[in-house]
Amino acid sequence: MSLLSIENLRVTFPSDHGPVEVVRGLSFDLGLERLGIVGESGSGKSMTGRAIMGLIPPPGHVSADRLEFDGIDLRNLSEADMRQMRGARMSMVLQDPKFSLNPVIRIGEQIEEAMTVHSACDPGERRQRMLDALRAVRIDNPERVAKLYPHEVSGGMGQRVMIAMMVVMEPALMIADEPTSALDVSVRGQVLHILGDLVQRRGMGLILISHDLNMVARWCDRILVMFQGKIVEELGSGELYKARHPYTRGLVASLPRIDEDRTRLPVLDRGAL
Amino acid sequence: MIQVQNLSVRYDETTILHDVSFNVAAGESFALVGESGSGKSTILKALARQVKPSSGAVQIGVDPQEGADRLTLARQAQMVFQDPYGSLHPRRTVDDALIEPLVVHRLPDRDQKVLDMLDAVGLPRRFRFRLPHQLSGGQRQRVAIARALMLDPPVLLLDEPTSALDVSVQAEILNLLKSLHEEKNLTFLLVTHDLPVASFLCDRLAILKSGRILELADVATLRTGNFASEYGRELFQRSVG
Repeated sequence: MSLLSIENLRVTFPSDHGPVEVVRGLSFDLGLERLGIVGESGSGKSMTGRAIMGLIPPPGHVSADRLEFDGIDLRNLSEADMRQMRGARMSMVLQDPKFSLNPVIRIGEQIEEAMTVHSACDPGERRQRMLDALRAVRIDNPERVAKLYPHEVSGGMGQRVMIAMMVVMEPALMIADEPTSALDVSVRGQVLHILGDLVQRRGMGLILISHDLNMVARWCDRILVMFQGKIVEELGSGELYKARHPYTRGLVASLPRIDEDRTRLPVLDRGAL
Repeated sequence: MIQVQNLSVRYDETTILHDVSFNVAAGESFALVGESGSGKSTILKALARQVKPSSGAVQIGVDPQEGADRLTLARQAQMVFQDPYGSLHPRRTVDDALIEPLVVHRLPDRDQKVLDMLDAVGLPRRFRFRLPHQLSGGQRQRVAIARALMLDPPVLLLDEPTSALDVSVQAEILNLLKSLHEEKNLTFLLVTHDLPVASFLCDRLAILKSGRILELADVATLRTGNFASEYGRELFQRSVG
């Protein structure tokens, strides 16, 4: 049985001109693997992640023929049950540590918060697990870092702190929405490595949402390409250059290459899609 | 066109730039490449007179700018910033943004200049009285480029001009910059962490690390990855994956 099973997922928002569908009939299954969702801004990839987490605020509306996580039907869960699930069994890493960490709470305390809410362990055990989580994301000196405030660490370190915050509860499903786009290329590799390691060692399912085609193609087991709220193509790892859909091909072609000899880059012809 | 000589910048005890020197010829496109904290944006700020050099000198333009006033300096170089959402005033129309430099510099023919510039950066004229929130990210970056070009400066300072944009929009903006570079014979100084972007747009580059220039190279070297410095080869490796 797959970890996550989605059929005909739709997300709509009302507007002056009637409802606008931003996710239009998405279906996929996720096992213990790294699944990449790529697409441009407005393709609905972030909304898909949020819909799975039950984080579409009203007046947005989510519907699906099936939305099952580990055999549990997420469609009929109450808000309280959903809250029990989020953070404990499924969690989400967001793009920018600058905006997603609380600036006035020490890092250690923020990581422990999830455990305070979701489990009944005593303070000593909480602290131990918090330090272990920091070690798991390769922070060498967890005692020191736990005492710092978010502004006292670098972007790469902040992003690792956010991942530590997610893995401390050992969730079965992790959704990472642009987890590396605020980071330098060198740190990006480290963060991906940590995530990949966690998928392997702890048996997690991971959905990586990104606009970075190359990164997703190199790193994920499977890629879904989204355009205007729909999956237009599914590709295996490393098959990006074999893409057949004109949208995917257009995106790949518009990327500059390091051995660039074109004087103009091809531009996506949106009218033709 | 651009001369940077033994430029050092210190904030209190911390030295951001150590003795950086390079020249960019007129009409050339030059890239500063490095990770965050390498000092590449500080060089741009020093050239834009936003930070004061602790020692050394920077100069833009052919004549020495001894005693030149701020307006003259502003006409030598203009900057395009990374974030098209943060760099335009949310309550000012495209027209306001483009006219402002002309007003400050008391230049005539404002109406015609705005229309010409909209054409030059590929924005339909009907966008003239729109507000930034009515534009897409790519359109806003076109406005930012248009604003930078209003004073007809010979030099454009580009601080990661496409890194906040989607790849297909990035391609449009890179093509626009390349066309403008050729048509107006501009000199570009581009700050980027993206080697393929430098490869597309630039003739030469400097690789920076921890406030020092490790290496100056031409674009042919960049394309083959045949850098003299180990760090240069490492950056190249990371880009190819």
